[in-house]
Amino acid sequence: MKAMSSETVTLPNGRRWELHSGGAGPQLLWLHGLRGVDPADPVLTALQARYRVTAPVAPGFNDLDELSQIDNIHELALDYDDLIDVLGLDGFVMVGHSFGAMIAAEIAAHFPRRAERLALLAPFGLWNDAYPVSDIFAVPYTQIDDSLWHDPATRERFARKVATGADVKDVAAQTVKLAQGLTAVTKFVWPIPDRGLRRRLPRIACPTLVLLGAEDRVISPRYADDFKSGLRHGQTAVVAGSGHMLPYEQPEEVMLLLERFLQAPKIT
Amino acid sequence: MKFHFFHLMPYPELPEDFREKNRSVWVDVPSHLFDPAVGHRAYNEYLDELEYAASVGFDGICVNEHHQNAYGMMPSPNLMAAALARRTSGVKLVLMGNSVALYNPPTRVAEEMAMLDVMSGGRLVAGFPVGTPMDTTYCYGQSPATLREKYREGVDLILRAWSDPDVFSFNGKYTQLRYVNIWPRPMQKPRPPVWVPGGASVETWDLCLEKDFLYANLSYFGYQEGQKIMDGFWDAVDRHNLPRNPYRAGFLQFIAVAADDAEAERLYAEPALYFYRRCLNIYAGYVNPPGYMSMATLKAGIEGQVSRIVNRAGARAEMATLSWKDLVDRGYLVAGSPQTVADRINDMADKLNVGHLMTLLHFGNMSKEVTTYNTRMFAEKVIPKLRSRFSQWDDNWFPRDTPLQTAASPATSLAAVP
Repeated sequence: MKAMSSETVTLPNGRRWELHSGGAGPQLLWLHGLRGVDPADPVLTALQARYRVTAPVAPGFNDLDELSQIDNIHELALDYDDLIDVLGLDGFVMVGHSFGAMIAAEIAAHFPRRAERLALLAPFGLWNDAYPVSDIFAVPYTQIDDSLWHDPATRERFARKVATGADVKDVAAQTVKLAQGLTAVTKFVWPIPDRGLRRRLPRIACPTLVLLGAEDRVISPRYADDFKSGLRHGQTAVVAGSGHMLPYEQPEEVMLLLERFLQAPKIT
Repeated sequence: MKFHFFHLMPYPELPEDFREKNRSVWVDVPSHLFDPAVGHRAYNEYLDELEYAASVGFDGICVNEHHQNAYGMMPSPNLMAAALARRTSGVKLVLMGNSVALYNPPTRVAEEMAMLDVMSGGRLVAGFPVGTPMDTTYCYGQSPATLREKYREGVDLILRAWSDPDVFSFNGKYTQLRYVNIWPRPMQKPRPPVWVPGGASVETWDLCLEKDFLYANLSYFGYQEGQKIMDGFWDAVDRHNLPRNPYRAGFLQFIAVAADDAEAERLYAEPALYFYRRCLNIYAGYVNPPGYMSMATLKAGIEGQVSRIVNRAGARAEMATLSWKDLVDRGYLVAGSPQTVADRINDMADKLNVGHLMTLLHFGNMSKEVTTYNTRMFAEKVIPKLRSRFSQWDDNWFPRDTPLQTAASPATSLAAVP
């Protein structure tokens, strides 16, 4: 597999975006979760086998100053709309994980004629008092992974892959990077990750797949019902043996579900 | 040197096993532990203690703002300052202060502080803390990503609301007001002195020095621990090419004065351990939300100060085993005879160069009787030994004495209504 290539593009408003791309096939826009984009991400690698994957780095993850001109989720959606134009994406599918899935849903709700298919993996964005989204920002950085992963063995395996050869300085840098990414996320989800998406869900025009981990301690799998009831063309599935990190925890199952959904014949 | 009596107003009856049974004294402290009758007694005794401090010669009496916190029962310090304004004269009211980003619109802060300044005859010190993460982000729901920007905008609005003689419009990012024209206006001109209680952030130091605010470090861990932070502040003063005037800075210190070391331990060990073991039981997850510290401070912190602060606040296990001897040896508390205490504060003045000492002479569940003793001992036997320190410097960060400060006062008896 060829490594993903990186580039920086500039929007009409002057903001610069870093993005990573690779693979061949239909266009797929990947919106990353809480940790930004790792070009060696196994999920991105798997997707590149079938798709031309473009993975932009969300504003703030590289430089928090980027957020100073983006006041709310609507302005964030506008920026992504600009980005899609700059990239010349047309007839693409959009897949997001966690915070990225919330953005993906918002882009599709703000601009319903953009993506042809939408897949949301453990999406933030809705709130139900009966099963509140847990507060991942009220735990020490070193314990965040405890609530994200279901299976400690999977977490270990994944963590070791990232940390191999890392010295203390790298670990410190990684902590700062995590803190910076989470800071960017807080701008759009603090103190409650509900910016009115429920009211906008019916605007989403394309077929939408929502996957939740059966053991997700951050976003209860019961949110499947909340998404289903708001979406016009929604289907949902709960993936067994998975926490919030479901594309990493159950990659084969998630890829199978994604493939089935993304390749299904278009309904016209 | 100036001396202030600082009161945190802790809830005095947290159970013995509070630490074992509850993860945090702050944010999600269980409501069933609060007895309003205990609160009623505590508030009134605490106001007595502040008024007593004023009567024995402290320069200022200090109140501050905390939310959903069992060691700081002052969600609104302005209410306490208003009560104190009527019952005191001469002493300055150090409001340490209002977390500006929590008030919508922030002109509310400008108005209430102006009221206090006018009511008290120009005795107000206006404190503008950013506020702790517990208070601002968890209890009051502010996004840590925007808290500091919102705070700075609010400070700018308040300063202008105090000083601009004309009605003006304010088109901010967080506040938009068509007509700003507060009544009353502060008595002190051009404005009341502003103090910023803060942690160890370069951004806070720069703000203080750019706007001529006093910087106060409110640490619970004594002046040895505070040395690095104050060194950082004075380095920033040098960078701004300003004189190292000690009256630019304040520092908080726990103090326990007695006839001798043995009496100090007998009187103060229990309330001190109550504070460090029960009141400082803060869940580590609430101490450092992403974005509360700037990335620059966080990066610097991994090598130094911030990790210490984070580790300190998160070190619940360590707090549980602290002894009186630990507290004194580490300098969290300055304790002992008047001479011992004066020597230590002289040492602090040498090392930290702070002109404004905020004393915590009440802490934990200390009784009113013991608090009064501690306060009197400090005022009568310690302050005179230290008063002349830094007398060569002008203090431009404190209200001036004016004749007005005693001009109006409450009637001693109410005339019969005809």
